[in-house]
Formats: sequence, structure tokens, C-alpha cells
Amino acid sequence: MINTVTKNYNVDNVFCSYQVTYVNSNIVSSVPLDPANTDYQAIQKWIAEGGVVIDNGGGE
Amino acid sequence: MSKLEVDTIAPQSGTQVTLGESGDTVTIPTGVTLDASNATTSLPANVVTTDGTQTLTNKTIDASQLSGTVATSNLGTGTADATTFLRGDQTYASATPAAGSITTTQLAYNPNPFRNIIINGDMSIAQRGTSVSVSDGSNEGYQTCDRYEFYLQNAGSVFTWSQDTDVPTGQGFAKSMKFDVTTADTSVGSSEEVNFRQKIEGQNLQYLKFGTANAEQLTLSFWVKTNKTGIYIVKLYNSDSGRDVSASYTVPDSNWNKYTLTFPADTTGSFTNDNGRSLDIIWWLVGGSAVQGGTLNTSWRTNADASSATGQVNFADSTSNDFWITGVQLEAGTTASDFEFLPYDVNLQRCLRYYELLGSGTNYPLFNAYYLNPSAIYTVAPTKVTMRTNPSLVQTTGSSYYRFIRDSANDFFDSISIDISKTNYVELFNSTEASGTGGVAGFIRLNNASSYLAFNSEL
Repeated sequence: MINTVTKNYNVDNVFCSYQVTYVNSNIVSSVPLDPANTDYQAIQKWIAEGGVVIDNGGGE
Repeated sequence: MSKLEVDTIAPQSGTQVTLGESGDTVTIPTGVTLDASNATTSLPANVVTTDGTQTLTNKTIDASQLSGTVATSNLGTGTADATTFLRGDQTYASATPAAGSITTTQLAYNPNPFRNIIINGDMSIAQRGTSVSVSDGSNEGYQTCDRYEFYLQNAGSVFTWSQDTDVPTGQGFAKSMKFDVTTADTSVGSSEEVNFRQKIEGQNLQYLKFGTANAEQLTLSFWVKTNKTGIYIVKLYNSDSGRDVSASYTVPDSNWNKYTLTFPADTTGSFTNDNGRSLDIIWWLVGGSAVQGGTLNTSWRTNADASSATGQVNFADSTSNDFWITGVQLEAGTTASDFEFLPYDVNLQRCLRYYELLGSGTNYPLFNAYYLNPSAIYTVAPTKVTMRTNPSLVQTTGSSYYRFIRDSANDFFDSISIDISKTNYVELFNSTEASGTGGVAGFIRLNNASSYLAFNSEL
């Protein structure tokens, strides 16, 4: 069960992947922006159900 | 010529009567019947002549009295040589079967390699781990034996899900998958579901010809051991066409038993020819009233909950309950062939398409890397096999879980992110803790006993 979803930005400040944490788990997933990836599909479902993606912007 | 007319010729003395002398010819004219059927006869050496005009009637030649070679042309028709054999219809036929004349139907087993649609049917691969506690909302999904997903919905029970060594005796298996109820649930809610499943890519199912008049039946075989006897359900779900069918098996005792279920062909719903999820094989453990009721659905239909698990026992009704399974095989046709054992490395290769453990624990070596700029470490990691789709990166994170080793120094960081993910290579970076000099190269190791890194492209 997804806990948080945060956008990752690469060195060119391009949104490139999601960083996902899960409830009751120490696992973190970095998820590519690929509709065929089932972790990506789970994020989209989580968003559709009201989940809010954290966007800290690029430029770190 | 004189003529002797008598009714009986008998020896004057003794027991012998002689006709003629050596060199004479004794002629029996045409139309005369020589009836010797009641006599004990010593046949002359040449009673069967070469012209074949004489026959033996009501006489037996003992096999021990036969010798010599019978011409092959007198035994059958056709060409008699080293490449032929004599059939029962006295015809010489080729000893080599004609091309394509032997089909799997005529064999006692299915010889097709990789006939098992299931991956890791012998439960030998468990990259993620060998034991985990699972409850609704915690540790569901893929956790132990590769390719098997554990699913709980509105369930109050808790399970220890593990790879185990309890296997059926003498069958060649070394591992099984075990579900141990650690918190019971005696009151099953209407929408409660507990099951485990394996999902299959559509491109691996095209030869089943689903959605056509030539669709194949499917036979599922597996070994199960459980102390919770009664009826269990297996459901097939075609997620491409939204269709399902179920079958039941009855556990009679607490021994290892092999179960074989044959599912009908579906001439209506096809599988999409791609790398996506197409077929789920679902083993039920608990099913609420929403999936029970009526008569179990044993024909392909538009997918529905009702009647898809009718009769399923409540496996989770006691903490004494255990369930083991191994030797899972799904194949085309109506017969369960012997389990197709694959070499460990081949089995692992097949699992790597969906999940690849890169490493775990302190000082596990990973990749060469370099500072792309003073605040970003980059690396490109190859996957061992072409993965099903662009993979995610699965990891544990924490303070200094990763170490970048360079000339006479170490830099530490907490996590890795994906920049670009492809099925053969994944570009990874850290730009949150990394701090160094652009262009400096080194390599990355895991740096904590709890560090863990893997690629995931499961269905």
C-alpha cells in the first residue's frame, strides 16, 4: 500500500521518475514513467483515488 | 496288365506291406481319394515339393522339425530389406516413421520443452526473501517465491508466507511454498478474499489460440499438503478479455496429494499479444459470500465475483492450519504430463525477467560510477536479462546505505533514483547527498547490513 509519492528530477531539472514509500514497509521504489510498469500503474491508481504527489521541484 | 481286385491288403506275416520295388512308380489316378486321416503317418522327406502343388491336410509339423530360410517374398509383399519390417498384414513397411506421423497424442507424455506456462513451478527461486508475515495492507504482493503474488482483501487473518523444504516424497522437489495461519479469522466477511496467484504475459499464451475455434483446453497440476481438508477453488482470469472460469479440488487428508484440473478452451476471449498481464491463475484460500453462492462457475464467462469460489473452505479458521504447494504446472491439452524440471539457472533466468536482486548487505559491490557534476553521482546499470518492461528500482534506504568509493576517499549517500529505465540498462543517480568533484570516478557498494537493491518489472 502506497504511503507517499515524490517526483524525482534529474540533473537537467527534468521530471524523470517517482520515489515511492509504502505503509508498514522499509522499502522505497524509484519508478520510471512507463505505463507498462505495474508500479507506475499503481501510482496512477493511487492518484486517481486521491493520493497527492509531492513535488519539490528540480534544481537540487 | 493284370488287375487285382480286393477289399483289404494285409501283410501275410508281421506288420508291413510293401508296394513295388525301388525304382518303381506307384500311380494313384486322378479322382482317387487317398484317405489317410486315421493313419499314423511317417511323411517322406520330400512330401512338400518345390512346385507347391501338394498340401498337408490335418497334419502338424513340429516347429523343431523346420529348418532352412523362408524367402522374404513368401512372407509378405513390399520391399524386404534392412530398413523395413513385416507388419501383421504381411506387408513390408519402413522401419522409420514418416515425418510428422508421431504426435504428442500418441506419446505417453508431453515432450514439448517449456510446456509449463507457470514459471518457478517448483518454488526453487525466492530472490526477495524466504519468509514474511502478511496481513491485509502489509507485505502483500510479491515477497517470497518468485512470480507468486499473495492477495488479501478485507481479511482479518495473518499469515507467515514462506519458501519451505516440506515436499512430497520421491517426486524430485526440493522446495515448496507455505502459508501458515498465525492469526485466525473464523468469521469471513462477505467481501473477504485471500488467494495467491501467478500472472502470465499474453505473448506467452498465443499458442493456446484463445478466442478462436481452435482454442486449446488447459490442464493445471500441482501438489498440495494441508491439514485443512475440504473443497478448494482455482480460478483462471483472462484480464485482456475480462473472462473467468473456475474448478475445484477436494483435499481428503493431510498428506501430500497431486491434483489435476482441466479447464475448458475459450473460443471467445483472446489474449493480447504483448508483454502485459493476460492470464491469472488464482488459488483461493478464503472466499466470502460475494464469491460464493450458487453453483461454481466452470465455464468461461464475463468475469464476475459470484460463483467464482463456491464451496471454498475457510483455510484461515485456525492457527493450526498450514498449506503447502509445489510442482505447479499449467499446460495445453487435457492431460497432466510429468512436471517439467528445469535446471536452476534456467529457472532463475526466467524469473529475472520480472525481478532481479542486485545485492544486499554491507560491502556488496554494485556499479562503476562517477560525479556527473559536483552534486550528482551517476551510473548505468545493466540488467542480467531483458526485463519484461522498463524496471523500477526497489531498495531499502537510510543514512549512508550507499558508499561511493573513489581515490583515497569515500562519499556516502542514502538512496538511488532512476533517471532513465530501459529493459536492458538503467541509468541511476543520487543528487541529494552526493557532493564531490565533477568527473571523478569510482564505484558504488551497499554500505549497511539492511541495504537491499533490486530491479522490478513484475506483472
